Amino acid sequence: MAGETYWESFQKRGMSRREFIKFSTMMAGLMGLAPSFIPKLIHAMETKEKVPVIWLHGLECTCCSESLIRSGSPLASDLVLNMISLEIDDTLQASAGEPMLEHKREIMEKYHGRYILAVEGNPPLNEDGMFCIVGGKSFLEELKEAAKGAAAVIAWGSCASNGCVQAAKPNPTHAVPIHKVITDKPIIKVPGCPPIPEVMTGVILHVVQFGEIPPLDRKGRPKMFYGQRIHDTCYRRPFFNAGQFVETPDDDAAKKGWCLYKIGCRGPTTYNSCGNLRWYGGISYPIQSGAPCIGCAADGFWDNGPFHNRLVNIPLPGVETTADKVGLIAGAAAIGGLAAHAIGSAIRNTMASRETNGNNQEEKTK
Amino acid sequence: MSVSEKRTFLKIYLFQPGLRIWHWVQFLCIVVLFVTGLYIGDPFFTGSGSGEPTVVYPHILSMDLVRTIHFSAGYVLLVAFLYRIFLFFTKKAHRALMAPKHLWMLKDVILTYVFIKKSYPPVIRNPLARLAYIFIFALIVFQIWTGFAMYGMSNPNGATATVVSQWTLALFGNEFTLHVWHRIVAWLFFLFLIFHVYLVFYNAFLFKEGELASMASGNRWVPLHRIPVDAEDALECKIEDVLGDAGCDRRG
Ligand code: HEM
Ligand code: SF4
Repeated sequence: MAGETYWESFQKRGMSRREFIKFSTMMAGLMGLAPSFIPKLIHAMETKEKVPVIWLHGLECTCCSESLIRSGSPLASDLVLNMISLEIDDTLQASAGEPMLEHKREIMEKYHGRYILAVEGNPPLNEDGMFCIVGGKSFLEELKEAAKGAAAVIAWGSCASNGCVQAAKPNPTHAVPIHKVITDKPIIKVPGCPPIPEVMTGVILHVVQFGEIPPLDRKGRPKMFYGQRIHDTCYRRPFFNAGQFVETPDDDAAKKGWCLYKIGCRGPTTYNSCGNLRWYGGISYPIQSGAPCIGCAADGFWDNGPFHNRLVNIPLPGVETTADKVGLIAGAAAIGGLAAHAIGSAIRNTMASRETNGNNQEEKTK
Repeated sequence: MSVSEKRTFLKIYLFQPGLRIWHWVQFLCIVVLFVTGLYIGDPFFTGSGSGEPTVVYPHILSMDLVRTIHFSAGYVLLVAFLYRIFLFFTKKAHRALMAPKHLWMLKDVILTYVFIKKSYPPVIRNPLARLAYIFIFALIVFQIWTGFAMYGMSNPNGATATVVSQWTLALFGNEFTLHVWHRIVAWLFFLFLIFHVYLVFYNAFLFKEGELASMASGNRWVPLHRIPVDAEDALECKIEDVLGDAGCDRRG
């Protein structure tokens, strides 16, 4: 319930002080905080009211929600039932239709200026937002309305943060990341398709327990989760440095677990915690399973195809080709052309010197 | 104007030793950067055995080594470029030969190169070449800029990232696109090199004024009946004085 502190809700459920302290310490660890922060965190959890969260869905595939409900620590159920007061979420809540919309209106009024707005997906702008209708209104309108009273906004996933697949060229619906629409509120971007479950819960925890947004980098992403390249935390990195590469996904090198760079790995240009946190309680992550990273947390990854090539298509209209092919062909053409030019010049020069020689002879004979 | 019988060529001192050294250092850097860069984006051969990376690493031409060479050459290129800017202010010839002057002659030059015209007026540096050098400097600036922007991101909170990388990434949209452009422009160097080498040889053979040797000796030899129209760009004094007093051109 909104309106009660974490400590109160622990007591209500008959949990001991010891369990509460253990929980708070674990949370501090999850959020990557130094031990000196633990007392502060405990204090915050004793005094801060649970924060109401409104979770909206625009153009998206729900992979962010799917990811969130697989969070291992804290468990998503813990998060949703104990740690925040998730008031509205179309995909998780039982109610639907008019009663739910009514509840949303109520919460937006009652907690005006205090609730967290979490946005999964993004709004299409073409045709006045007609391409995404929620409850009879365009999502664009719903989003703007909900953003008005929000204390802060969380942009879940690459859709809300960057645009993602629906914004791929030529972007017929003109889908845009939410910061193009919401310009007057702090926005925490949590890119990834989807983001790592523990990253999602970690971000929410930071916001609701400290009542402030985590330190962000210049792109608006929480530094603690997006501060490093996957490439720089990847356990296959020694193979990269030694120049040991997988050539095809089924070759001998692949079985030995060498670096996936040559089959298109985007780890070198992607910032995320896959390399250190990994997924689903540290079980694995794409690169560990043998698939090159496609860079799903990087802006513009959807247009940087083909995913399984390191050298991608270059922006030449009408053809699909790489810089190397164009460069080699242009180089060969240039060399051919210049060879022809050299021959042409030689012919012209002999002709010219014959002419001058002829002239000289004429002069002499005169 | 009295010209002695012996002096049928005018020696023009174009390039000081510093500039000549700079030219060849830069040439080496670009070749090294091009080759290592191509390898970085597409490691087309691997010298490694199939042992453990820690074992094979010191014995082979590793990716790490190739990248280190690339980044080191990148730093040398940067320093060389800054030195070139300094040279720009030291001598008239060092700045004038890149200025887009005498553009009126551009058409003549192109028509001559494609055999339509017989020749163009004598010049030290024709306008097409001048444009080409401005172009290559733009490419170098672009490569140093995007190169250091990528390089800086190995520490996203570091100084290089703050000064160069962040706004560059915002401009290109994402880091991968930056790699793509760095690679496209690398190939432009390749094309430039082909044309540059060909045209230098071409001019050396066609006009026999020591164009080819000038980047080694610093001098150009122009026949007195063909005094270049842009000679004064490269001389510290009036052309009449040069012809009257054989020492003037040396003073530059
Ligand atoms: C003539 C100048 C240069 C040329 C021709 C050149 C060429 C290249 C090429 C072809 C690549 C591979 C791009 C890819 O596919 O990812 C590359 C990568 C790179 N270059 Fe350069 N480069 C030049 C100058 C520089 C400079 C001055 C720096 C600054 C340190 C630099 C830093 C880098 C970095 C950081 C990478 C990415 C390496 C990686 O992904 O591991 N480059 N360069
Ligand atoms: S697998 Fe990908 S992220 Fe890992 S070292 Fe190789 S290129 Fe880097």
